[in-house]
Amino acid sequence: MTIDRREFIIIGATVAAGTALSAVTPALSHTVAGNQSPLDVPPSAASGKNQWGMVIDIAKCTADCTACTDACRKENNVPLFGDPKRDIHWIRKLTIRQKGVPNATERYLPAMCFHCEHPPCAHVCPVAATFRRKDGIVLVDKHRCIGCRYCMVACPYKARSFVSQHVEAGPDANPNAPIRMHGVVEKCDFCVHRIDAGKEPACVEACRQAGNGAMVFGNFGDPDGEISRIVATGEAEQLRADLGTNPRVFYTHL
Amino acid sequence: MEIKFSRIEVDSKKYLAFMTAIGLVAALAPASAICLFLEGHRVTNMTNQVPWGMPIVMAIYLIGASAGSLVLSAMSSVFGRVEFKPFARMAATLAAILIVAALASIILDWGRPDRLMIPFFHFQPRSVFSLNAILYSSYMLLCLVYLWAMFNGKKHLERLLGLTAVFLAVLVHSGTGAIFGFVYVRELYGSPLLPPSFIAAALSSGTALMIIILYYTFRLSGRYLDPRLLTSLGKLMGVFIIVVLYFLFVENVTRAYAPANYEESSFLLLHGGKYTALFWIGLVGLGMIVPMIVGLNQRLSRNIPLLLGASVLQLAGVLIELFIIVIPAQVFPVELFHDQEVSSVFLDGQFADYSVSLIEWTYSAGMMGAVVFLFALVIRLWPMVPTEARHLEPEEELAAEKVEEAAV
Repeated sequence: MTIDRREFIIIGATVAAGTALSAVTPALSHTVAGNQSPLDVPPSAASGKNQWGMVIDIAKCTADCTACTDACRKENNVPLFGDPKRDIHWIRKLTIRQKGVPNATERYLPAMCFHCEHPPCAHVCPVAATFRRKDGIVLVDKHRCIGCRYCMVACPYKARSFVSQHVEAGPDANPNAPIRMHGVVEKCDFCVHRIDAGKEPACVEACRQAGNGAMVFGNFGDPDGEISRIVATGEAEQLRADLGTNPRVFYTHL
Repeated sequence: MEIKFSRIEVDSKKYLAFMTAIGLVAALAPASAICLFLEGHRVTNMTNQVPWGMPIVMAIYLIGASAGSLVLSAMSSVFGRVEFKPFARMAATLAAILIVAALASIILDWGRPDRLMIPFFHFQPRSVFSLNAILYSSYMLLCLVYLWAMFNGKKHLERLLGLTAVFLAVLVHSGTGAIFGFVYVRELYGSPLLPPSFIAAALSSGTALMIIILYYTFRLSGRYLDPRLLTSLGKLMGVFIIVVLYFLFVENVTRAYAPANYEESSFLLLHGGKYTALFWIGLVGLGMIVPMIVGLNQRLSRNIPLLLGASVLQLAGVLIELFIIVIPAQVFPVELFHDQEVSSVFLDGQFADYSVSLIEWTYSAGMMGAVVFLFALVIRLWPMVPTEARHLEPEEELAAEKVEEAAV
């Protein structure tokens, strides 16, 4: 195929127009979705102004509810293989009981990737496939991960799962979630595709819709925001704060 | 005294039969690796609780044996241990082969070995793995240049490269220890003692391997090997084992001292079932103390079959040590809370169960087979093995050199 000058100009103009349009489109959706955003932060490219995080009130987490974990599986197409040792979990519900106390009450809390400020997983990743975005979200580049699993060994919160077999995306799969690839490690990404579209993570939405409202997602970059105010009271705790990883997920009534 | 090297001349039918047999064992490695890649890690017993299994144990074992071999190879040129000169070439060859097998063990165990080149383009300076990728590759290169210098009689270069080799071998295997030592979130890993401990184990297992390799290479090729050479290596092995045991003792006592670590320590040392048994019987008893006694006792170490047996025990002992370092730290549940019992569908708070699966065994056996295969091939193709290996004390060596000089 040969291209003469006229065609070249047409193609060039088309590409240029497309680029310009795609640059404008996010700005448009910005204003439209901005008003409806439950995050109350206009969607935009990851910026250091937003520091996403979460506060979970475990007093509101109930025994028989699995709304958050179910919603996560659906939103991110997280499969169950029927093999508890190899099932992939982006979020799981923990049952805890005070050690050494007879008849201690059972309490419940969801746990996911805590998007640490100093993520051990990202520190050990030999190819920087795990990285921390400007807005504090710790992500895994599935196309770069070599599957060495060092991050799984280094994560203090057991937030990571290895895809140890092939997974086909079913017909009901959410097309917005990333495609799954065998031989790589994955974990909760705070529903980054939803955040970038101005929506809060699926688990938080499901928890509220289930009537519990135990999970609050927000922006630590905003000192007057809800999660900042809760953490400022000094009543919110991080898991294994002694490790110095500074997780972005806090718990109250722990 | 000038040492003459030549290619081994053996009965070609026997050699072919040997190579076919060991080649079949070696073929298990690529076969297992292909199966792993096509089917995913579900064919192994590695899980989300125990992401690192036998292939990783085998990889760090081979790295250790390589580092130990390279240091032994440099003993004569760097530390003036002239009595070890006869096997300098063989040891350096073995070091090069072992590091190749070790790298293969690591890479083929990745979930995506097809992304082999990514670590060369994406660097993460905080990652011990990333640093090791550079260390291991330069180490492999150094082995080859060092061998070249030895072959071409470049004495000064050989000494310089030998010194560099010792330095780099220590660095490389410290890096291997640091892979685990830096994991501060697991009490059974995080320890500043792991890098030096790994070095000690590399030296003891490298020496044990050299005893076995020397004995069988000379015997099967019908050449003379002075038994005093083996006995003196046995003594060296015994000394190295003392260092290994010392590090093991300090590390475990320090850990067990802190009340916060009572559960971890008692799991490993008292009631961890097979891990506790492996620790005391496999590692401390048979793997270390028995070969240490045989190696250090002059009367026992002169008994060559006994010394060979002790060397095999030591090789197994270091493999068990690395298994005991890599696996129980993952079997012990991650501590999300200091004060809460925890459970979940993700098996939080539960002790994981891990046993080496068949495919992990074939993978590991194949890697070992590949090492033997390549070594047997190299000594057939190039003059690596001395025509005879006499053990000379440094004074005798000096006298022999003087006689030679006088003759010239």
